[in-house]
Amino acid sequence: MGELTATHFLLLSAALFITGMMGVLTRRNVLVIFMSVELMVNAVNVSFVGFAWEQNSMIGQTFALFVIGIAAAEAVLGLGIVMALSRRADTVDVAEVTELRD
Amino acid sequence: MSDQPLWISFVVGFIVLNVLLIGMAYMTWAERKVMAYMQDRIGPNRTGPFGLLQPIADAVKLIGKEDLIPKFADKRIFVIAPLVSFVTAPLAGLVIPFGDQVTIAGRQINLYATDINIAVLYVLALSSIGVYGIILGGYASANRYSLLGALRSAAQVVSYEIALGLSLVGIFIISGSLSLVDILNQQRQTLDLFGTGLQIPNWFIFYQPLAFVIFLIAAVAETNRLPFDLPEAETELISGFHTEYSGFRFSFYFLAEYISMIVISLFAATLFLGGTDGPIADGAWWLILKAMIFLFFYIWLRTTLPRFRYDQLMGIAWKVLLPLALLNIVVTGFVRLAFNNQLW
Amino acid sequence: MTPEVLVFDILAVIAVIAGIGVVVSRNPVHSAVALVVTFVNLAGIFVMLRAEFLAAVQIIVYTGAILVLVLFVIMLVDMDDLPEFHGGAPLQRLSAIVIGLILLGEVAAAVLTRTVVGQPGPWNEETIAAAGGNVQVLGQFLYSGYVLPIQAMAIVLLVGTIGALVMARPDEPTTRAGGRTTGTISLGHSRGADLVALPSGAPPARVIHREDMRDGLVMVTSADAYTEHAAWAGTDVPSEPGAAEYPTGAGIGSEENR
Repeated sequence: MGELTATHFLLLSAALFITGMMGVLTRRNVLVIFMSVELMVNAVNVSFVGFAWEQNSMIGQTFALFVIGIAAAEAVLGLGIVMALSRRADTVDVAEVTELRD
Repeated sequence: MSDQPLWISFVVGFIVLNVLLIGMAYMTWAERKVMAYMQDRIGPNRTGPFGLLQPIADAVKLIGKEDLIPKFADKRIFVIAPLVSFVTAPLAGLVIPFGDQVTIAGRQINLYATDINIAVLYVLALSSIGVYGIILGGYASANRYSLLGALRSAAQVVSYEIALGLSLVGIFIISGSLSLVDILNQQRQTLDLFGTGLQIPNWFIFYQPLAFVIFLIAAVAETNRLPFDLPEAETELISGFHTEYSGFRFSFYFLAEYISMIVISLFAATLFLGGTDGPIADGAWWLILKAMIFLFFYIWLRTTLPRFRYDQLMGIAWKVLLPLALLNIVVTGFVRLAFNNQLW
Repeated sequence: MTPEVLVFDILAVIAVIAGIGVVVSRNPVHSAVALVVTFVNLAGIFVMLRAEFLAAVQIIVYTGAILVLVLFVIMLVDMDDLPEFHGGAPLQRLSAIVIGLILLGEVAAAVLTRTVVGQPGPWNEETIAAAGGNVQVLGQFLYSGYVLPIQAMAIVLLVGTIGALVMARPDEPTTRAGGRTTGTISLGHSRGADLVALPSGAPPARVIHREDMRDGLVMVTSADAYTEHAAWAGTDVPSEPGAAEYPTGAGIGSEENR
């Protein structure tokens, strides 16, 4: 653990990704699930930028920039769905919206 | 990366923060005095000569008040929210260049705390985090009118932040750099007006007048000042997001607003008016003079204009400032490409 | 231990603790605040990794826009405390922690025994500084090699904006054009004609206001009167005197009317 190597960043990325994954799998509130998905996306971004740093490349940073942009579009649409869901089903509990028809 | 040791940067940063805090305190005094004279009255003149000790009296009064937390409020967030605003406001002052280099005790010291290569984006990022102080304050008050006021205010700040950032893109196109020290150095050269021999300084206001106007309007809206202060006016939703805050916690919000006013004035002076550049002697006094012009303009607006309604306010951000800023970017890009900045 | 490793350790530990806070908090606003803390720490890590522009974009876009949007939605969606934290499944949480730790061990094993394939790229610190800095190099990349992905991303964002506008519109049928606000029963229909004997000389259509209906009951005697009734246009057809002699309470198709 003397020098800063890419292993540090990869372990951080793995820890954040697994935390996010556990959030998606165990929580019932759709907004917390959404935030856990954002946590996973950020973990992947850390991994991209870590590799770009280790390998002296700029492609990792470019890709991470695109990931942030697409995550913004996905967030907007996802939250629109959440609002429509909460209006229609009057709940944000994913365990209650289990049927396709009303 | 600057080559001065880290502790010198810390000391310079500490001095800058203290200067900002004292400036903020006397900004409150200046506002009350200037507003008073504009309204044909005198303002504070009892506490010390010309009322100069009034900020200290205000501070003593606010500290002495009872520390109230509403019963159903979310205590942790109630405590943290004003601190978020108060901490992010002066941090933006750390990248503003107050000068070049001075030699003290044999060392070369830069008159700015740090020169990062994304300085302008850093300031925008700090104002993005400052929005959380508003939202969390309104949420934690357990008062639905506070919540509505907070959501309105946050929507206003986010919308005007877009106009603010886009108006600065024209400056990035011209100067080719995001660092404030680079932008300042470029404005120090003199400009030959149309080759006639008339020398004017190379300030970016001459290159980007539309961006300057958009920046000013967006800056007034960002700091929630009149005429854009609907979310926190006392006649609207009682007092918006800081209704339930009293005593020193309220003063955190109040002072954060003044510090962000001062920082944005310094920022505008550096980006558009050349910062420390002046006709006779370059120095920090020119920067402070230019910032004081902007601060006077803020106070002048407050005493003169009535308040905008919320839909008018949002309409201005999205229907007027945003298209104008985009138009400015297109025209600037075209001029840069076609004339390589040699328009005059 | 170099100062870089120390700074990285502090930032990473706080980021992971805040990440766990996102997943574990009862209150979604606390989750959002914990996520803000995580993002700011990750931005600090990006600065350490020589990606300053990405750090600024992360704060401006992710914390300053996306999470503000999430907080707005949390506050506008009125919800009660969810039952997942009341007397529910400690076994599920324990198994989640155990599985998470096992996965982390596996990934750590994969990371620690990896081999690097291929050549490193040319952008180390000196070449980046020679080209003008991180922003300039990214600008060169994005606007020469990656122009089309940027245009595609712009289109995706536009589609996202339009989609969000469509989905967040209010949903009531009264606000849609031509929406019905009246209940209709067609007596011109063959099934309706033999249910109630209409008094002779009754007009082809009438509206009856009953207490259990908001806008009234339209009674017609022919299919054309049904489709051409003014009630479809939303105009209020005044109810007539003498409506009280029509049977109320029991519906037209109920047992006692057969």
